[in-house]
Amino acid sequence: MIEIKNLHAEIDGKEILKGIDLNLEKGKVHAIMGPNGSGKSTLSYVLAGREDYEVTDGSVQMDGVDLLDLEPEERAAAGVFLAFQYPVEIPGVQMSNFLKTAVNAQRKQRGEDELDALAFLKLVKDKMKALGVKDDMIKRPVNVGASGGEKKRNEVLQMALLEPKFAVLDETDSGLDIDALKIVAEGVNQLRGEDRTFLVITHYQRLLDYIKPDVVHVLANGKIVKTGGPELAQELEARGYAEFLGEEAA
Amino acid sequence: MKQAQNLARMPAPARYKADNAATFVEAFEGNAALKEGPEWLVSLRQEAADTVAEMGLPTPKLERWKYTNVHPAIKDVSGVAAKPGFVVKPVDKLVTDLSESLQNAPEWLQSILTERPHATFRYADMMMWELANMFTQDGVVIDVPAGQKVSEAITIDFTGHEGQLSAPRAVIRLGEGAELTIIENHKGEGQFWNNALIQIKIADGAKFRHYRMQEYGSKAVYTQNTHVEIGEGAHYEAFTMALGGNITRNQVHAAVIGGGAECDIYGINLLDGSQISDSTFEVEHMAENCNSNQFIRSVMRDQSKGIFQGKVYVHEGADGTDGYQLSNALLLSEGAEMDTKPELEIYADDVKCSHGATTGQLDEEPLFYLRSRGLSENEARALMIEAFVNEVVEKLADETVKDVVLQKVSQWLKL
Repeated sequence: MIEIKNLHAEIDGKEILKGIDLNLEKGKVHAIMGPNGSGKSTLSYVLAGREDYEVTDGSVQMDGVDLLDLEPEERAAAGVFLAFQYPVEIPGVQMSNFLKTAVNAQRKQRGEDELDALAFLKLVKDKMKALGVKDDMIKRPVNVGASGGEKKRNEVLQMALLEPKFAVLDETDSGLDIDALKIVAEGVNQLRGEDRTFLVITHYQRLLDYIKPDVVHVLANGKIVKTGGPELAQELEARGYAEFLGEEAA
Repeated sequence: MKQAQNLARMPAPARYKADNAATFVEAFEGNAALKEGPEWLVSLRQEAADTVAEMGLPTPKLERWKYTNVHPAIKDVSGVAAKPGFVVKPVDKLVTDLSESLQNAPEWLQSILTERPHATFRYADMMMWELANMFTQDGVVIDVPAGQKVSEAITIDFTGHEGQLSAPRAVIRLGEGAELTIIENHKGEGQFWNNALIQIKIADGAKFRHYRMQEYGSKAVYTQNTHVEIGEGAHYEAFTMALGGNITRNQVHAAVIGGGAECDIYGINLLDGSQISDSTFEVEHMAENCNSNQFIRSVMRDQSKGIFQGKVYVHEGADGTDGYQLSNALLLSEGAEMDTKPELEIYADDVKCSHGATTGQLDEEPLFYLRSRGLSENEARALMIEAFVNEVVEKLADETVKDVVLQKVSQWLKL
């Protein structure tokens, strides 16, 4: 169970999150839908610990720990994973080196033995095979020259390796054509499990056709304005976000 | 097509004249051994001593030495070493001690040893060059006959002598189609000054890889002048890693004299404390369809300072030239500094030349990305710095050298 209470956050003095309350049930897939500028990406960055966002109030409890007290790397070791909307290119860092460093950094923080090169290679090969990722991908520099689909598949591969308890997917569908979207969604679906909670952030319902949510929340103007079942996503697709924006404007 | 010119000594313009080399001129005067030997050698040393007495040593008043002032660092260096410290491995018939060859130097060797700096920068470069000339006593001669591909790299381990100036010379000649790799290792603690002069002739179709690891202690001063001529279809690949020393001046002048030749000059500077490392390169394109590439990456901590002065000079008629230079620097501390001066001078029409320079800090975006995957801030920074310099290392042709360099990079990052 992850409990977000009264979360307020701002960037450059401008308040974006204006009191978010959310209970995310363990093992469920929660979707957050909302129009542009509602605070979707801010929420994902704040959960992962990006420093240019200032949290001014509230808490995010996961297994009795307030994530907001932790550094980004400590959150990662505690089991938080953010799949980026725009995965960052890092020239000169080989994917395999990056993945191994990440896995071992987390193991070290948790007091576990680090994996040696051989054990890591076996692990990563298994995961790549399961997700249908090509072998040469891990020899390339992180995300450099990769297509939108490849970058998102890289994010899913990282998720598979790091085995988070709480995965936040920030607009995973953006920049993907329908075939790439299906492949990425298929990867995410493989990773669903009773110990893993998902927060899937998206503008469009399209992604939710492939990653079926258990609960759907609507985020508008920095607050959760409605919560419902999967059918809520369809309603939003049909009617748009106007009614929520209208309420704010009124 | 022009040839590299061998210029005789000429009086210098007044602005170059400085009376700051008295210590070394006195050391020359008081050393009888330098007045002995074949006539050409005695007069080479004497003319050089006269020039140094007249011009002195370079000061920051000279544009080309604007960012690098060696004087505070050499003020306690007074004597001159009778024998510069170096060991060559393996002992091979291609290698001879210059001290042995000097007495009966063949004509080709004499002509190289008596060469003077090329016209473009002759006065600014002359002092350090002549300083090496006036103390010419020892060094290395490596002569690879045409067609011989030397498979094992030759290593030269240099060191310094406390309180003294050493002036090692190296003459390296590759015959047509020959291949050679040299690794210079520079190590040693103490307050000393090594001023090396290295002259390289690469005949048509030959390949020379020239690697240098500079790891002197924090008080050492290291200035080196490499002059290389690259023949038709030949390839010169140079790489310097500057880790140590108080002041390093890594100066390369490459004359690309044969068509279709290639010249790559790479470098990594990893600096901290109050270190200064100056990379001053000039590539002169004198023939058609040649490629040259200068690529330097520098990382500075504390109060250290990096300098890149790179120039591509394209002579009239050197059409089809592709000349490229790039300096990227990372400043990790507020007091760190990078001075960059890329220059192009082009007298041919059909030329592709570009230069670029960036100086900055590590990007926040990838740092956050790495931390969100579990890397600590330090681990994330180290990985990114490693990646930054790896892009130079990737270019090197020698796999063993690559591994050694990467090891040294990760050691530096752990400091």
